[in-house]
Amino acid sequence: MALNIAVLAKASLDPNMIRTRSDGSVDTAATPLALSEYDKNAVEAAVQVKEKHGGRVVVVSALTWGPLARRRREFEQIVREALAMGADEAHVIVDEALVPGDPLATARAVAALLQKLGGFDLVLTGEASMDMISGQLGGRVAALLGVPFISYVRSLEVDAQGGTVRAVRDLEDGLQRVRAKLPLVVSVTGEANKPRIPTLLQIRRAMRKPVKQYSLADLGVDSVPKPRLADLRLIQVKRKNVIIEADSLEKAAEKLIEYLEQEGVLRR
Amino acid sequence: MVRVLVYASSPAQLRGLAGLASSLGAAEAYAVTPGAPGEVEANAYSVFTRVYRVEAERLTPGQLAELLEGLYAEHQPDLVAGAAVKDCVDAGSRLAARHNLPMFTEAAGVELADGGLRVRRQVLGGRAVAVLESGLPAVVAVKPQLWEEKAPGEKGAEVVPLKPPAPVVEEEAWEPKRREAVDIESADVVVGVGRGFRRREDLAMAEELARLLGGVVGASRPIVADYGWLSEDRWIGISGKKIRPKLYIAIGISGAPQHMAAAMDSKIIVAVNKDKNAPIFQYADYGVVADLYQFLPVLVKKLREKLGA
Repeated sequence: MALNIAVLAKASLDPNMIRTRSDGSVDTAATPLALSEYDKNAVEAAVQVKEKHGGRVVVVSALTWGPLARRRREFEQIVREALAMGADEAHVIVDEALVPGDPLATARAVAALLQKLGGFDLVLTGEASMDMISGQLGGRVAALLGVPFISYVRSLEVDAQGGTVRAVRDLEDGLQRVRAKLPLVVSVTGEANKPRIPTLLQIRRAMRKPVKQYSLADLGVDSVPKPRLADLRLIQVKRKNVIIEADSLEKAAEKLIEYLEQEGVLRR
Repeated sequence: MVRVLVYASSPAQLRGLAGLASSLGAAEAYAVTPGAPGEVEANAYSVFTRVYRVEAERLTPGQLAELLEGLYAEHQPDLVAGAAVKDCVDAGSRLAARHNLPMFTEAAGVELADGGLRVRRQVLGGRAVAVLESGLPAVVAVKPQLWEEKAPGEKGAEVVPLKPPAPVVEEEAWEPKRREAVDIESADVVVGVGRGFRRREDLAMAEELARLLGGVVGASRPIVADYGWLSEDRWIGISGKKIRPKLYIAIGISGAPQHMAAAMDSKIIVAVNKDKNAPIFQYADYGVVADLYQFLPVLVKKLREKLGA
């Protein structure tokens, strides 16, 4: 029984490539974007469901880091990465009002697009983005669509015939097995699967898959006041960085113990 | 003067949430949590005007969200504050969406400023801090432990029972995670073990070091999540536990930002790693570039001599 699956994927600031200004603030305009780690798991989960049950996988993404003019190509490359993993088409939202991003505004836009495209059985997303780690998008979108939400899923079983899913949620104190009826939204953890690395052929094919772009006006979404990102700066690490050099391990150990005594952190 | 609605997935979280309400000078504060009567009463801090005890041991996020809807409508709070645990973040995001509210997950700093809210939170895998400002009402999720000290000790708030709504997503089974009594978050000395250790049995050397120093063993993510050599209670990481010991000795740990962010409040950090280019040396006060299999036994021997243990 073919399923209509959407994946919400974010082009996040790449935490491994952060660019800063001289005052230590993060230069978001200069920091490269990358497909958010757990959204890769979501794409993988979606493609696996499609491979098992048939259907189509639609990537939905909003560009939330500017400047828009500079980011368009980078954003498209990231969306094509998801297409190369096996998604069929992409629908993206590009609008100044969404920059910089906030889950409040992004969820409204994404929900409107999902409703416009219509008829999704399953919406998947990562548990949180790797840049701002809010972990709210899935829950917000589910609430706006009026469908159930299952978060922090590490394993997912879809019964397409029966129209239900069973999932295992990875919580702090335990693993919770739940079941629910389609349609619904699911957020997945990094443990849910191992995202496939597309082959060159899949990457080439992805270049021909459709990517459609919308503004907030196209979606009939008005902008709402969103929080202001007042500051974003690297945590300064101030440590002594003393590398203990010695002729022997014994001498190194002795030196270390001496330092620790001086620091007052040895218990005697 | 703000009106606050706090929510928890278990009664013990109410202490920290009471601390938050108190430090914000809440004029009125309401709380809701599942739990047994005795447990909830033991956490019915007097800063709360009323504590709603949901008659259930545990709630699904959907049930919690539905209860929040009702209480939000009734009390019209300026701020909704939940514990920064997965179920509460989930439930809060649904409430926030329905009412077009901003929500700040894992807010380390929460202040009322200029008729609105100013929040500080870690982002970018623990490498950066964001300061965000919004109007009210808003939703925040906070780690209760950070606010516990601010809770005035008096209890005795009115406790009112609530029936849990019927769940839409149903729990079929619950498998508790293996838990130990160890509390690395409050330990004075922590010895961290990482992927430099080749076998589970080899952790014994680190355990011996911890014992000599009067500390506990913690671990980086791979040791817990990938190998399962130690329980999640010992996971030092932004998705695990934050430690603030006087002394943190990281052995065979490369120094990933998500790990170091959770150890940054340590007074002194010592790193032992055979790779001189390992990022951890940037985060350490004292570093020893050596193979842990050779250095650790020597360090333990010297410490035994020194401490006469």
